[in-house]
Amino acid sequence: MRRLILIVILLVCAHEVRATVLLPAEFREIVAGSQVIVYGRVAAVRAEWSDDRTRIDTIVTVTAGSYLKGGPGGTVTFRVPGGQIGRYRNVVVGAPQFQAGEEAVLFLSASGGPSIAHVFGLSQGVFRVKVDAQRGTRLVVPPVLMAQGDGEVPQPVTRGDTTRRQLSLDQFAATVRQAMSSGRAQ
Amino acid sequence: MKSERSRLLVLIAAVALVAAWQIPAFAYLKLGTKVGTRTVTLKWSQLPIRYFITDRGVSGVTSTQLQQAVQAAFATWDGVTTATVSSQFAGFTLANPTSGDGATVIGFQNRPDLDRTLGATSFMIDTVTGAIVESDIFFNSSFAWSVSAQGETGFFDLQSIALHEIGHLHGLAHSAMGETELRAGGRRVIAAEAVMFPVAFASGTILGRTLRADDIAGIGDIYPSASYTRETGSISGKVTKSGKGVLGAHVVAFDTRTQTLVGGFSLSDDGSFVIAGLSPGPHVLRVEPLDDGDVESFFDPTLNIDINFRPQFYEKVVVVPQGGGTSGVELKVVAK
Repeated sequence: MRRLILIVILLVCAHEVRATVLLPAEFREIVAGSQVIVYGRVAAVRAEWSDDRTRIDTIVTVTAGSYLKGGPGGTVTFRVPGGQIGRYRNVVVGAPQFQAGEEAVLFLSASGGPSIAHVFGLSQGVFRVKVDAQRGTRLVVPPVLMAQGDGEVPQPVTRGDTTRRQLSLDQFAATVRQAMSSGRAQ
Repeated sequence: MKSERSRLLVLIAAVALVAAWQIPAFAYLKLGTKVGTRTVTLKWSQLPIRYFITDRGVSGVTSTQLQQAVQAAFATWDGVTTATVSSQFAGFTLANPTSGDGATVIGFQNRPDLDRTLGATSFMIDTVTGAIVESDIFFNSSFAWSVSAQGETGFFDLQSIALHEIGHLHGLAHSAMGETELRAGGRRVIAAEAVMFPVAFASGTILGRTLRADDIAGIGDIYPSASYTRETGSISGKVTKSGKGVLGAHVVAFDTRTQTLVGGFSLSDDGSFVIAGLSPGPHVLRVEPLDDGDVESFFDPTLNIDINFRPQFYEKVVVVPQGGGTSGVELKVVAK
């Protein structure tokens, strides 16, 4: 029985997951720290060695659907750590991964790094857009975590909070605009 | 009489749980990688893990102090009696903690583009065999670091972050065993019951230097020693909503005797979960959605993780047998 349980664990627990130590931002800080916020579809993904050949990065090209901040341009290109060249895959734990055809709202920054943009806060600036099979609407994942008021009073984040729901794409865009209109996200 | 005792046990456990759940919960998860159409657990086939330290310090931390902090963190994992992991310092190197040289290198690196990232672990994986070719850990020198025994205000504790990253290096993914609060300046940890919780404690604390029950269960699960197999047990079952399986639900087991928390996720479409590495005895189960954070920090983005349900306690106390498992638990949840 014990052996069977261990085998089951090995089979089911090994999803491809990622992790690192982060300092999570409040949503308005993600908005404020991003020069470009774009909703689009991933058109191309290409792994390459960094200029100094010490690491593999993936260059992601997105066909822009609409810009919530920054732009313009028909496509946006950014870099994420990790990728696969040949039979070897470099997995940077915590870095987002993309596949052609995926939709997302991306919060991109160009500060502090190479000339090509990167995702704000490693994966904090990636909000996936998934189609609700039942209603056919586009939902944004994960839910937004935005403090009420000016955020000066700490607010516990409770799992299962019934007020925290996945937003439709339109609701998410409205939330971004609301964040931009507040002082910290200018 | 027996049912009265059972009800009492439930009540005692529930009361204890209410107290304990103020420091909420989640559980360990293992890193995996795709090999062909399969997904396999990432683990080292050869031990000890031999690692090099980049011979470069930062303000306030010399390379020797870096090596000592990393060695202390490795020793903490190596000291888990229910696991067989071991490590060996192989020397200083001029190499950066990046992939491509076939060596496992740990060190500081300036990565201002990885904003809000204190440190990260990377793997070079042979996608044909699933073997780890090398693994590297970098600490972002864009931040202020300390190796002070008591912690240092305004500085992040290097040993704490090293302990977390070395957990990844061993194959552990994130635990969600923590509670945060929102405030201007970002989310902040209020409490964490796992070193593998992805959100760092505020600077100045050394709370992250100590492994918790969830971490210990996780490392034993990947590298089980004889005592792990002999002394711990497991709980398995399903999480369902309207009769269908829930993927990505977080199930937490609370040991009413030791007051410790260990958990697991439902990791298949039928809602199946297994929580292993549990201490024998009565446990109370709770399931809750991972709706408070970055789901991608835990799961492959292609998975349809269900976060639309309310937290739920299991109506019975589950007794974990020593060296065995209790199965058939069904946790029924309802949508928000």
